[in-house]
Amino acid sequence: MATFHLKVLTADKVFFEGDVDRIVVRTTQGDVGILPNHVKYLAAIGIGGLTIITGGTSRMAAIAGGFVDVSKEGTVILARTCEWADEIDINRARAAEERAKAQLQHKESSNAQDVAAAKLKKAINRIRIAQK
Amino acid sequence: MASGNMKDIKRRMKSVQSTMQITKAMELVASSKLRHAKERVLRSRPYFNTMYETMARIAKETRDGDSIYTKARTVKKSLFIVIAGDRGLAGGYNSNVLKLAAAQMAGKTPCVVTIGKKSQEYYAKRNFEVLADFPGIAETMQIQDTHDIVDDMLARFRDGSIDEAYICYTEFVSPMVQEARCQKLLPLSFPGSDDSAGKGKPQALTEYDPSPEAVFSAIVPEYLNGVLYGAVVESYASEQSARRMAMESASDNASEMIENLNLSYNRARQAAITQEITEIVAGSGQVGA
Repeated sequence: MATFHLKVLTADKVFFEGDVDRIVVRTTQGDVGILPNHVKYLAAIGIGGLTIITGGTSRMAAIAGGFVDVSKEGTVILARTCEWADEIDINRARAAEERAKAQLQHKESSNAQDVAAAKLKKAINRIRIAQK
Repeated sequence: MASGNMKDIKRRMKSVQSTMQITKAMELVASSKLRHAKERVLRSRPYFNTMYETMARIAKETRDGDSIYTKARTVKKSLFIVIAGDRGLAGGYNSNVLKLAAAQMAGKTPCVVTIGKKSQEYYAKRNFEVLADFPGIAETMQIQDTHDIVDDMLARFRDGSIDEAYICYTEFVSPMVQEARCQKLLPLSFPGSDDSAGKGKPQALTEYDPSPEAVFSAIVPEYLNGVLYGAVVESYASEQSARRMAMESASDNASEMIENLNLSYNRARQAAITQEITEIVAGSGQVGA
């Protein structure tokens, strides 16, 4: 079966690099599946999951921010944050959720509200992915 | 007289010795911090190189110049993000980057965002318009920490209170070489993106989801976050290696001084003994006569 090269980079490390069969990633427009020989494609990443499927096994990660870039040479995902589902510290994610909720209770500037809302979304996403 | 001289030399040796202990300790601390910082730089580089290449390519493919982030405007106000260390005693590290920033600011109306205590102190003392200070964040910097700085900068850029932005940092070339750099952040410009000749149709079309403009606008903050994070990480590694070098040469100088002092101490001791012997011999000669 055809495969393609995938590189997932975050600011502090090379998160994943290797040949894969298929990936599904959440863009700002919704989940997008990428197969080998995809056309050149570029999209911003939202808050959601990244599933990497190789040889019948799939591995899931929580991803937030960044972009995915598909070209002939391979696919590159530059992520703001990215964590494997089995490495997510669920207690920390829950704590982050509580903190963000508490922040939303305070009527602060709209900017701070936005930040808190985004944090809440990310925390919920991480909990959801971890529990899958 | 001679013993007084010897005491003086002893005292100086002691003070040099204790200074050397401090510089040695600082050197060790800096070199262990440098090791971590260097790893961080190396780990982050693939991300930034890819980021830069992708940005440059998008900028080339969507060369309508519609995005407000790429359009040059008449410059009334310039923002400078100046990254310096939190501590001194790092050779020319702090003064180099501050000097470069001053040279870049010449003839402009600058306002500053400072990162690092030394940068904060410098601009506070000189009555610059300082928008924000971020002292003491370099060592434990996470990529999330740059968002506030970048969001604030982009907001100011959009509403027109700044017209261009620069970042002044120190590039970590090698443990021996660090170079102060000044890079333009906004408006974005990439080599090759603004050659308006436009060689006919663009090569293989890329599909942008939902649209090139939307993708571009979403990626710009990511890109700037990346550049800023990279600059801080590079600067921090540079600071540690500059300090290590400065402390190393200070320790070398101290041990050289101790050597010289030791030599003059021994000379003084010998002179004192010789003199004593001469005195005794002369004295006994008198008694014998």
